[in-house]
Order: sequence, then structure tokens, then C-alpha cells
Amino acid sequence: MAEDQELMPPGATQGPVQAVSAMGFPSPARDYFDGGLDLNRLLVRDRVSTFIMRVSGHAMQSAGIFDGDEVIVDRSLSVRHGSVVIVNLNGQMLVRRWQIDGQQVGLLSDESPLPVILAEGDEVSVFGVITRCLHHVR
Amino acid sequence: MSADHVSLVDVNNFYVACERAFDYSLRNRPVVVLSNNDGCVVARSQEAKDLGIPTGEPFFKIQRYMDSHNLAVRSSNYELYGDMSARVMELLGRFGTWHEVYSIDESFVGLEGNLEQVRSTAAQIRAAIDKTIGVPVCVGVSSTKTLAKLANHIAKHNPGLGGVCVQQLMDPEVLGSIMNRVPVTDVWGVGRKTGAKLAAMGIETIADLQAADPLAIRKKFSVVLQRTVFELNGQRCIGPVEERADRGQVMFTRSFSTPVRTYEAMEEVMSIYAQKAASRLASEGRYASLLTVTAGTSRFARGEASFPSAQVRLPRPTRDPILLSKLAIAAMRDLMQPGMDYVRGGVILSGLSDTPGEQQLDLFGQNVDPAAQEQENVSSVVQDISLRFGAKSIGLGHAGLARSPEWSMKREHISQRYTTDWDELLVVRA
Repeated sequence: MAEDQELMPPGATQGPVQAVSAMGFPSPARDYFDGGLDLNRLLVRDRVSTFIMRVSGHAMQSAGIFDGDEVIVDRSLSVRHGSVVIVNLNGQMLVRRWQIDGQQVGLLSDESPLPVILAEGDEVSVFGVITRCLHHVR
Repeated sequence: MSADHVSLVDVNNFYVACERAFDYSLRNRPVVVLSNNDGCVVARSQEAKDLGIPTGEPFFKIQRYMDSHNLAVRSSNYELYGDMSARVMELLGRFGTWHEVYSIDESFVGLEGNLEQVRSTAAQIRAAIDKTIGVPVCVGVSSTKTLAKLANHIAKHNPGLGGVCVQQLMDPEVLGSIMNRVPVTDVWGVGRKTGAKLAAMGIETIADLQAADPLAIRKKFSVVLQRTVFELNGQRCIGPVEERADRGQVMFTRSFSTPVRTYEAMEEVMSIYAQKAASRLASEGRYASLLTVTAGTSRFARGEASFPSAQVRLPRPTRDPILLSKLAIAAMRDLMQPGMDYVRGGVILSGLSDTPGEQQLDLFGQNVDPAAQEQENVSSVVQDISLRFGAKSIGLGHAGLARSPEWSMKREHISQRYTTDWDELLVVRA
């Protein structure tokens, strides 16, 4: 972050770029500027049911989710076979892939090639389905 | 022909529900949420109610339950509750033909259709809020607001109903026995004092009030209570409700975690609270004509007490944070006695209107006082920024501090601000 800031000229911001004309000649693009790209519109389908969480651990890399990433969770979606979910298993909040095999439900991660099959007595509750991962590239 | 019905939707034990939505370890055990400054109990889970912990109980009195009954304690997490409330209200707005927010966790919602359709919509509302937001609600439906409140009360106290009660679909005998049993003080808008007066007249239960003579009630009490009688008989006469947190004023009063003794520290308090109140007004699009400042020493302290309070009539309706903050500081400076231990302070804005006062303009439509105009401009920039980036993003003088001053609220048992702060997201294990 520090080196990023050094590269920026003093006073510069990293907000959306807007055409500014100091002279009397108006920018021909001015009438078309509508605020730039709003990430909320891309990433959040419905504000009401969307929650963001931070990931700790390395067991979901095959799903593209890495240690330190933020995930976007939509509670309104139904869980299907293959959904990557936030699930509370016996008191612990986990990121896992939901596996349905007949009557059996399993939770899959990179920790083992086979899903952990949920047994009677397990307390399981799905918080929501992950729709996006905000991966930190650097 | 489809009819219009009134429903009252509220979240069960709202503050506790918000905590439990993220912290699963709080489920199936007693939980209480404490007031500002961790003073006393303001919200209880059902399990805590079953333990006999009353609302308003000082924290130190229930500490023993933490070991003996696995009681969990949380400080009020207003950021979290505010965000969760906004989600609930937005979702409710999608279901109703009309929607009136009544408090942070309660709304009246208009529902259309026949009774069976309305029951099914009410059940859908309950399921949708539970799934997409993760908090439990009860829905009461009837023909008037007062009866919808009653239906909600019935839904809440009869788990067998699945959280939904349509009053008109109830067994008349069951309904009758409830009306004959439930005290009149459980009716919406009937307080303890009115209840005592009613009881003296032999009106003790809801059924008694329903059967009372509206004219007599109006003469003895007020037109407000007369309306309640009409509403209990299915006649809709209570118009749009104002939000319960008294729409007539905006108030910022809090207890301090460490006493404030000096002019300087009190200035800080007044400045910050005035700016917060001003920014609340801006978000509601309103202006104040009266400013009240208060402070107080502890009621339990020995020796001299001091409860300064002053009202300042504003030159014109305003929400200018600079002006309000200056006036609040000046008013309190005149009243407080330095050296006393002030444990509370507050700023209240009232006499609210939807339009600003007339500005004095000169012949050319220019503001007479350029300094005033400049101040107005700075104020609106401050307001814009705090509306867009949150209350802590910008402030004048003291309120601009990123770190909370030492007198700010004590919140030792606070959970994370899961939904409003990037540094406090819930961490999940992968």
C-alpha cells in the first residue's frame, strides 16, 4: 500500500475518473457521465440479503477462495449440490462446498478428497450461499 | 372483492436476535443486551426472561448468572441493530400495499386479499425475514392497527400459531377468552396511569374497554382513548403513525464512561452531540427551531448535585452543525460548574419543521451576510460527507477525532460491527 501511495502524485485520489475542464470549453462527454462503474451493482444482487465475511484458512482454494479474501454471501439463495456455502457446523463457521448424494449431505473442502458426511447429532445450519469472492491479488 | 388489512410485524427480542444472527454460540442460552454505558438490561432473550431477569436490571445484579446459568452479556451494538433494522424494513416494504415504520423493530404493513390470502402472505413475510435476514418475527393481522397489535401479542404468546395470527380467523371463543383475560394495559396506547384510572371505573380487561361507551371515554379521558375503543371494535381511525422515537425531536443524550469535569471536555461533548443531531436532521430532511442542552451529575453521588439545562430559541429553523455546535457549547458553558463530576450530557433539537427559515436577502437576491453564507456552504459539505461516508468520516474540531474521546460510551461486551465496518467482518474458516 505504501509504495502505491508514493507513486501517486500529491493530492491525487483513486476515485472514479471524471472529465474536468478548466477552460470554457465543456467536455463533450459531460452529458454522458453517469457516475462510473458502481461495484455494488455488480456484486450485490440484493442489499437486504447480502452479507460480507472474511476468510481465514487454505482449505477452499479449489473454489478460488484464499486466506484473507472477503466473500459475498447471499442468504436468499437456495442451497444446491455444489453450492459453496457459509455453514455453521457444531458451533464453527466454515466455508464448504455442499454435496448432496441421495439422502446424504456432505461438506467438501481441500482437506480431504471425500466430503465429511453429516451425521445425526451434528448441528448444522447454513448461513448463506457464497456468490463472489473478493480475492486479494497483491 | 379484496379487502385491505392491517398487519403489525415485529422482530422478537430484536437486539438479541441481531446478535444471534451472527454468533451461533448465543443460541439456546440466556442472553441480555445492556444499555448505553453497560448500565442495565435493555433486551432479553426468552431464556433470560425465563430466568426472571427484568428489563432495567442493573448489570452488576445479574453478573452471577453468567457463571451459574451460562448467561451471555452484550453491550448495545447500535451499528449492527440499525443495519439489520434497515434490512427488515426494506423487505417489509416489498410485501405491503403501504408500510409505516413504527420503531426500530416494528412496522405496520398493509396487506391485500381475502383472509386466507392474507394469512399466507403473513407466513411468507415471516419466512422471508427469517431466511434472508436471519431474525424471527411475529405477524399480527386484523382490521385496525390496535387490533393488529393485539393479534401480534397473541401470535407472540402462543407458539402453536407459528408466529402468525389473523384475528378474524381465530376461534371466536378462544379470542373471547383472551379478550376477557388480558389486562387493558396490554392494549396499544393504554399506559399504566390510564390503566389504573380505567380499573377504578371497572374497566380491567380488553373486552371491558371494547364494550365501553366511546363518548364517556372521550369525556373522562381523551379523544385518543376514544379512538382506541373504536379501533377495538374494528373501526379504523388511527391515521399514519409517527415513528415512536418521537418524530417531534432529535435527541443525543448519553452517559459517559468517565466523568466530565472541565469546560474543555464538556465543549467536546456538546460539539459532538450537536453535530450528530444536526446530521440526523439532515438525513431526515428537517430543521430545528429549538436547541436544548442538558448535563447531570450522578444521582447516586454524595454531596452537591448539578443538573444544568438550557433552551436556546434558534434565530431561524436550521440544521447547521456549526451554528448548533457553537450555541450548545456557549449555553452549557454558562451553566456548568467546573469541578463537578458530570456523568451525562445531551443535545436535543425540537420544534422540527420540513422547511428552513427564510434567509434575509438583499435587493439583488444576495445573502446579506457573506460570512453566514460561507458557513452554510461548509455545513452542507460536512453534512454531505457524513451522509455519504458515515458519521465518523468527517467532523468539526473535536468531532473530527478518529479516536473516541475518553468520555465516550463504555461498551465492554460489544460484538463486532459485522455489517458496517470492514475491520470487524465475521471471520469464517476455510
